Order: sequence, then structure tokens, then C-alpha cells
Amino acid sequence: MTTAVEADTRTLIAVRGLKKHFPIKEGALQRVTGHVQAVDEVSFDIEKGQTLGLVGESGCGKTTLGRLVAGLSEPTAGGVYFDLGPQEKIELDRLMASDAERAEFDDEHRVDLLKGDAWRRFRRNTQMVFQDSFASLNPRQLVKDIVGRPLRVHREASGTALVERVVELLEQVGLGRQHLYRYPHQFSGGQRQRISIARALALDPGLVVLDEPSSALDVSVQAQILNLLHDLQADRGLTYLFITHDLSVVRHMADQIVVMYLGRVSERAPTDDLFAAPRHPYTEALLRASPDLDADGDEDGFQGLEGSVPDPARPPQGCRFHTRCVYATRVCGWEIDDVVLRLEETPGLFDRLEDVERRSPFDAELRFESEQAARTLVSTFQNEAPEPMRDALEDMTVEGRTVAIRFNPVPEVELTSRGTDHEAACVLEDFGSN
Amino acid sequence: MDVTERLPIPPAPPSESALRVRARRAGELTANVLSNPTTLTGLIIILLMISMALLAPWITVPNTPDPTQMPRDWGAIAVPPGSPGHPLGTTNTGGDVLYGVIWGARTSLRLSLIVVSITVTVGVAIGSLAGFLGGRIDEILMRIVDVFLSIPELIFALAIAAVLGPSFRNIILALAVVFWVKYARIMRAQVIHVKQNEYVDAARVIGDAPLRIFGKDILPNSITPVIVQATLDMGNIVLVGATLSFIGLAEAGLAEWGVLVSEGQAGISAGRWWASTFPGMMVFLWALAFNLLGDGLRDVLDPRTETSR
Ligand SMILES: Nc1ncnc2c1ncn2[C@@H]1O[C@H](COP(=O)(O)OP(=O)(O)OP(=O)(O)O)[C@@H](O)[C@H]1O
Ligand code: SF4
Ligand SMILES: [Mg+2]
Repeated sequence: MTTAVEADTRTLIAVRGLKKHFPIKEGALQRVTGHVQAVDEVSFDIEKGQTLGLVGESGCGKTTLGRLVAGLSEPTAGGVYFDLGPQEKIELDRLMASDAERAEFDDEHRVDLLKGDAWRRFRRNTQMVFQDSFASLNPRQLVKDIVGRPLRVHREASGTALVERVVELLEQVGLGRQHLYRYPHQFSGGQRQRISIARALALDPGLVVLDEPSSALDVSVQAQILNLLHDLQADRGLTYLFITHDLSVVRHMADQIVVMYLGRVSERAPTDDLFAAPRHPYTEALLRASPDLDADGDEDGFQGLEGSVPDPARPPQGCRFHTRCVYATRVCGWEIDDVVLRLEETPGLFDRLEDVERRSPFDAELRFESEQAARTLVSTFQNEAPEPMRDALEDMTVEGRTVAIRFNPVPEVELTSRGTDHEAACVLEDFGSN
Repeated sequence: MDVTERLPIPPAPPSESALRVRARRAGELTANVLSNPTTLTGLIIILLMISMALLAPWITVPNTPDPTQMPRDWGAIAVPPGSPGHPLGTTNTGGDVLYGVIWGARTSLRLSLIVVSITVTVGVAIGSLAGFLGGRIDEILMRIVDVFLSIPELIFALAIAAVLGPSFRNIILALAVVFWVKYARIMRAQVIHVKQNEYVDAARVIGDAPLRIFGKDILPNSITPVIVQATLDMGNIVLVGATLSFIGLAEAGLAEWGVLVSEGQAGISAGRWWASTFPGMMVFLWALAFNLLGDGLRDVLDPRTETSR
């Protein structure tokens, strides 16, 4: 490693402690009543020439993360850093402890703060293909102007030279000269996505953020687009941040995969390791939920992913996945919200809940209409709640119409190492052996 | 789902150019506008009115020294339509009604063009600023807009014109002060909506400058409702303007439809209907024609119907 040339060991993109929280505004006064934690504490590297697959269910923050990497929005905390040498990376990791000390480093390397030449270099290097091929092309511009625009902005070509460059680009994505003077709405979804790709390639970028480039398309067209992206990468040595909700799409393309759940990384691993031995129950569930990937092919009817994604404004405590995890243990973050959720599923009882007074996410008093309702809750809980949830309970006492509930408080589950370049955020070191 | 994928797009003729494509598109839009009979009716009336306004000095004998004033024929007071020299009759004060109708079109065209160009410019500028920049600037600008909106247009214009004193110039001023607000509102809403489109982010990602993004991506995709509203207002403004001059906020004797209606009103009970009916009909036709055209434009320019074609 130390003998390699500096250029080869530079990290194209380093994401560190990245957070993006969107304020939720309510009422006529637009008061901020909470925050959607779209991206929370995310760190990873994107190496030159590689493909990093970013996978997760809808709403888990993939697009938000992609936009941050492309420099389209400012992080709430942490940052996305462009083109760091090995020394700079060590420096950055040392500086992550303190925002104040990092300010100077941020000014020089954080993508949303870059200025002048550094900004232009980043802008040319990093392009993005958006999720919605309809919305990402200006309906009032001709294809020639859409694809030629990056060249014009960076003063690379004009007049007939520009037209010729655009034709070249169009031909590279399987379109041609005859498409120059057409409007986006005259094309099919797949063709529009090709136009988007041509535009992204115009400046000969290093990194392309691909936000579900094929998921809005027909299956047969999807394969065409994926093949095109694959060939382009081979020809031009591109680096991809490939965002998708479907693991099977990145299986053959990605070198490394980051699995996200509710804004956080739940697992990060080299693609082969991840598919061979997922170390997070969520990854396993995603694999099982994807019909072409369920390795064992066991028709046991295991659905993998039951229930819906919780509200990202109030992510579950401990492990964010504990509300849906089939392996959940007593230390996975059971909390008052889990009891309330269970109540909601018992309609007769939920109607009689009058008030919840929280002292912490783990500790609250639930007041019911009657003492009888309060007692019903306790007995229902004891009979029906999953065992790990009951085990996590420290105290549940009925006093008249109120039930005082206290769970064992647990901190957020952190990512921990599972071998070379493999991390997972699960309290179970080894759940997969069964 | 995506059945069009496999449909080949016919090759374009080799002589294709951006200019041609744009011209053809403009041609298609025009054809679409004209294919609707009500819109076409509106357009024809408007063209007739505008030609009348532009040709006024040649199709009448202009009054001297000031042709915008009604000529007085003291020898033919309140004569009925069909009288020699006065095909539409005269007013109580010997004003030729035909002259008033024709020069009134000129006055109305001047009024609506001036007011619409001022209000569209101001409204689009303010709405764009608020919508594009957002934050405090948006808040302040919209607070001002809300104040304006809380007063009914006609009453507001009336109050301003009354304070400034009776003259046609002040009517123009009053209408300009009142009518920009709608454009600011429309434009702001449009810009806020349009700027969320991914093609705006796509332009940012290639490094284009905010002003050019505004000019290329946001403005062209936001302006349609403004054009429609401006067309409708070309009619509405003449209606409101005529109302103001009807109640005496313009100079007496001006060759203007509202003034003529007001002047002729006294004679109606005596059976002299012509002095206010003809100019009144003109106001009605003018407003109607622009409303027909505006509605037709709305249907044709609506981006949803546009892309489905
Ligand atoms: N501009 C915004 N303002 C407020 N909330 C936002 C904004 N953008 C995204 N969110 C919220 O952040 C969360 C993550 O959204 P994001 O679009 O990043 O998810 P995603 O993983 O890309 O989902 P999908 O697969 O549906 O595209 C969602 O709950 C979303 O509602
Ligand atoms: S920590 Fe592991 S076992 Fe516990 S809920 Fe989360 S994923 Fe499941
Ligand atoms: Mg998304």
C-alpha cells in the first residue's frame, strides 16, 4: 500500500458523520415540531473506479444521501469530502471529534463549502442521474440544449463543435443525431433516462450518483439501462454511487454495499460478503424479500419484511429495526412507543387510553378511562407481547386508572466491525448461524 | 406500463434545426388555439377592436387639437342613430357616438397595455424574487401582498384614483398599483412549485449559475399562468377602468367608453338609448373577447395537456 502512487490511494468521496435532518413545520405559524432524520450518522468511502451500492426501502434516506454526495444540499452535521489523500483522511478522522477544529479542513474539502477552482473541479467530477426521468429534463428544452448544457456552462464547446459533441454523447447512450431537435416528452421513459445519462457524461466526470436509474422503467428496459451503465463504466473508468431499493440490481455491479434503514447504515460490506453472509437481520430480510435472491429458495413462506417502516421523525430507540426484527432481543431498544403501537392494534383498548405522560422514551404513565382498561393492558401485554419485549420490562404497575411502565434504557446500537471492511449495527454478533 | 419504449421514433429530416423545431411548435400551438371556435371568436373580436384602435385617426376625422376628446357638433344634439354625419347618433352635448366608440377602443387599448405591462413586470419580478429566494425576503414580500389582497380590487383602485384626483392618467396609475398583486401571487406559487423539479437540481449539478437556472429552467416553466392571467386582465382592466370613469374619475369629455356610458345615462329615461348602449356594448365585447381568448389559452398552454399531445 505504502509503495503505491499517491494518486491511486486517494479517496474520491469520504462521507463522515453525515446527518441531514428536515424540520417538520406545523400549524399556521409553521412552528418546528420535530425533525425527520432522513440521514443520520452515516460514514463510508467511495473509492475511484468502484461502484458503491446504496440499498434500502423507500423513505430510508437514499435520495437525501445521494443529493448530499452530489453537493446539492448542505448537511445538518458531518460532511461529504472530496478527493482526500491518505494523510488528509487520517487528519479528517482525527478532526471528526470537534466541529470547531474541523472548520478549516471543511472549508477546503467539504463539497458543499468548496469555492472557486476546487468547486469547479468537484462540479465537473460529480454528476447525478435522477430518480424521475420525467422531472429531470426541462420540458421546454431540446435534447441538444439539455445534453449540450454542461459543455456550454463549462465553456467546453459551442456552435457546431457542441452539436458534434452532443451527437457523440447521444451515440454512446444508444441514441443518435436524429434525436437532437426533439423535446423530452417525445421520448419513452427509457430513452429519457438515456438522455439524462448522456448529460451526466458530458463533462467526463469521475463519479456519477445514480438514483434508482432504472426502477421507474419496464423490466426489459431496466436491463438495457443497467447494461448501458455497466458498459459505460468499463469504457470510461467511472465511479458509481448506485442507489436502489432492490439488492438484485446491484448484485453484479457493486463492489461494496451500504444498507440503510431509517437514515442509518445498518450494514456495510463488500458485495460478495454481504450476499454470502449478511450480518444484519435487515439485510437478510431484504435478501429474502427479493425473490431472485433468496439463496436457499426455501418456500417456507417467510416474508422477511413485515410491518411498515416507522416514522423517520421518531425513529425507534436502540436498534431502529427492532419493531420488525424477527431476532430482536431484550436489549434491542424496547420502549413506550412499542406498547402504544400494540395498543393501537387493539382497538377497544386504544379508544380508552386518555393520556400518555412520558418521562423518557423508556418510561411513561398511561392513563385509561377505567381501572379495568388499565388491567386489561397489563394482562394483554403479559400474554401477547413478544418475549424479548417482556424481558426488557423493568417495571409495570397499575395504580387506579394509570399504568406506570418502565423499560430498560438502551443506547442507540452502533456499527461494529464484522471482519475486513464489514460492519453491522446489530447487538447479535452472529444471528445467521441458525 | 411503458408501451412507447419499443415504438421507433421516425428519423427527423436531415435539415432539422432548433429554429425550425421551435417554429413548428409555435405553429402547432397556434393551430390548437384556433381550432377552438369560442377562442377563435374571441381572437377575431380582439383583432377587430385592435385594428379599430390603431386605425382610429384614419377612419375618423380626428378632433383637433386633442383627438382623445369628443368632438362636439352643437348643431346636432342628441340625434338618433342613422342621422346624417352621425351613424350612431350623438350625445346630449353633441358628441358623435361613433367617434367615441372608435377612439374609446384606442383609449382602452392604451389603458390595458400600459397597465398589463407594468403589473406583469412588477408582479413577475416580486413573485419570482419571493419564490426563488424564499426565507425572510419571501415573508416580507408576501406580507405586503396580503395587505393588498385584503382590499377588493375595484374599491382599492377607486380609493386611489379618488385620492389622486379625477384624470384618466390617475386611473391608469391606480389600476397599476392594484393589479400587480395577482401576478406576484401566481408567479411565486409557480416558482416554488417549479424549482422543486429535478431538472433544476440537474442544472445545479452541472454547475450552472442561479440566474441562468432561473432564466432557462424556472421562468419558462412558470410563466404560462401569468400569460393566461394577463390575457384575462387585458379585458378586466378595461372593465374596471370604464367603471372608474363611469363614476366620474376621468376627465369629462374624454373619448372613453365609461365616460360615454355615464354621459348618455341621463338620456335613457327619455328614450335616447344609443349614447350609452353602443359604448357599453363595446366594454362588454372587449372584456368578453379577452376572457374567451384567455380561457382558450389556458387549455392549450396547460403543460399537462401539452405533453400528452
Ligand atoms: N426536502 C425535504 N423536506 C422534508 N422531508 C424530506 C425532504 N426530503 C426528504 N424528506 C424525508 O426524508 C426521508 C427520506 O427521504 P428520501 O427521499 O431520501 O428517501 P428514499 O430512500 O430516497 O426513498 P424512495 O425510495 O422513496 O426514493 C423521507 O421520510 C422523506 O419524507
Ligand atoms: S439489534 Fe439486531 S437483533 Fe436487535 S433488533 Fe436490531 S437487528 Fe434485530
Ligand atoms: Mg429516493
